[in-house]
Amino acid sequence: MNRNILVLSMLVLGGVLTTVGFIMAFFFTPPVLGPAVTNEVGRILGYQPLFSQKIFYFHVPVALSSFLVFFFTAFYGVRFLMTKEKQYDTRAKIATEVTLMFVILTMATGILWTRFEWGRWWVWEPRLTTYFIMTLLVIAYFVLRNSIEDEERRATYAAVFGIIAFIDAPISFAITRIIPSSVHPVVLRSGGGLTGSQLAAFLIGLFGMLMIAYAIFHTRMREELVHDRLEAVKAALEG
Amino acid sequence: MAGEARGLSLRQFKAILHKDIVMELRTKEMITSMGLYALLTMVIYQVALSQSGTAFDPRNIAAGLLWLAFVFTSMLGLNRSLVHEKDQGCLEALLLSPVDRPVIFFAKAIGNLIFLLIVQVLTIPVFAFLFLQQGSYAGEWWMIPLALLAGAIGISGVGTLLATMSVNTKGKDFVLTVLFVPLMYPLLLAAVSATSAAVLGGDGSVQQFWTGMGMMAGFDAIMLLASFALYEFIVGA
Amino acid sequence: MDPVLEEIYALVVPSLPYVAGAYAILWIALVAYIGMAYSRVGRLEKEIAVLEESLERRGISA
Repeated sequence: MNRNILVLSMLVLGGVLTTVGFIMAFFFTPPVLGPAVTNEVGRILGYQPLFSQKIFYFHVPVALSSFLVFFFTAFYGVRFLMTKEKQYDTRAKIATEVTLMFVILTMATGILWTRFEWGRWWVWEPRLTTYFIMTLLVIAYFVLRNSIEDEERRATYAAVFGIIAFIDAPISFAITRIIPSSVHPVVLRSGGGLTGSQLAAFLIGLFGMLMIAYAIFHTRMREELVHDRLEAVKAALEG
Repeated sequence: MAGEARGLSLRQFKAILHKDIVMELRTKEMITSMGLYALLTMVIYQVALSQSGTAFDPRNIAAGLLWLAFVFTSMLGLNRSLVHEKDQGCLEALLLSPVDRPVIFFAKAIGNLIFLLIVQVLTIPVFAFLFLQQGSYAGEWWMIPLALLAGAIGISGVGTLLATMSVNTKGKDFVLTVLFVPLMYPLLLAAVSATSAAVLGGDGSVQQFWTGMGMMAGFDAIMLLASFALYEFIVGA
Repeated sequence: MDPVLEEIYALVVPSLPYVAGAYAILWIALVAYIGMAYSRVGRLEKEIAVLEESLERRGISA
């Protein structure tokens, strides 16, 4: 019962923090400045504020959280392979489910951002590409799970694939950045050089998002446990 | 004692590899199916490029086309190689025998690597003959083989692990595709970049080639180590 | 709100739909996901309560 109260308070706190981050991002942080605005003689009058950069304050926390949750897929995968206990498989599965949710949200917010910044719905930019690959890896994880019936084998294979997919994701990120792509030489303007209040809004959003991730994970975990208990009760009733 | 064990492992390794190669020499099944598949891919390329006009130089996308062919043929080969093991009960027999699991992994991976390399060696001249008649090859002669080898090592190493999983699922080759493509994405990107630098040449191509090679080497080292370590769990389940 | 910020925001209205869309998608998806998980937990727990009760009753009657 204590766990449930903790989870609920984390959820509420996460909601409050992300809302605070949201309000800070829009009403208090200075905008990130884009290209210079010049007059006829070429004197710089000022810089065009990038309102679309506001997506950053949610996009990046979600992206970072998704990666952190994906770490738990691999972590519980390792734990499962070490102990062969079913609970770790369940945990890994739920962590992957939360990862799927978060990578899809990262992609959705990222796509809207690129649409405005570069005028195209999709750009093969390192970060977006990495997340696209991550989405596919997570989907592959569930395809693999669904195509195995034997419970222990399913858990083992899923653990192995979860670990190897988690190793693959940062490699994918590194390689997409380093390999020169002739098609779209693009540089993201976000990240780095955040001023105080921008950093604060970002960090508050990040912590809020992590708490929400924690709450989702444990709510889903509780659902699985209740589900297992239900099956046990049903079996007892029939038997 | 350790030396003796190593000697035994080496003998077992050779025995498994030997079995795969002898079976292939007898049936020629893998090479024919993979080779034909590669050849058919060339036909599809012709269709794909048929409307691209005379100004279009296929050299610009040659590296990508080549690796595309290798990806699909290697998936076919990997699936077949492990399906054989399973259908004939070889894998179970191997598991019952006191063979070290890592030995099984390396023997199967090297076998797959050899088949993939043979297919690559056969495909390249055909591809060059069909698509690269005009224009010349810009890089040093050893660049292409080196890039092919680095890519093939990663494909067959991780591919062996994935194929061992996928043959034990309901989806089989479909599951292999779904697992294989996103995992291989970084390797393929580096492989195409290195191969492309070798084919096209130009400013900075040597540097681009070595960057790609370095990335592939890194991928191969990390992913092979991971596959090697995890293989034991896969065959045990 | 800072009047300077207000003026600046008037300049950037074209990007508003995308920013609003991004936030909306994020919020709606998260709320829906959490809400669904909670309602499922609630339903399952109710079901369990009923079943456990009948199990107990049967235990007594038997």
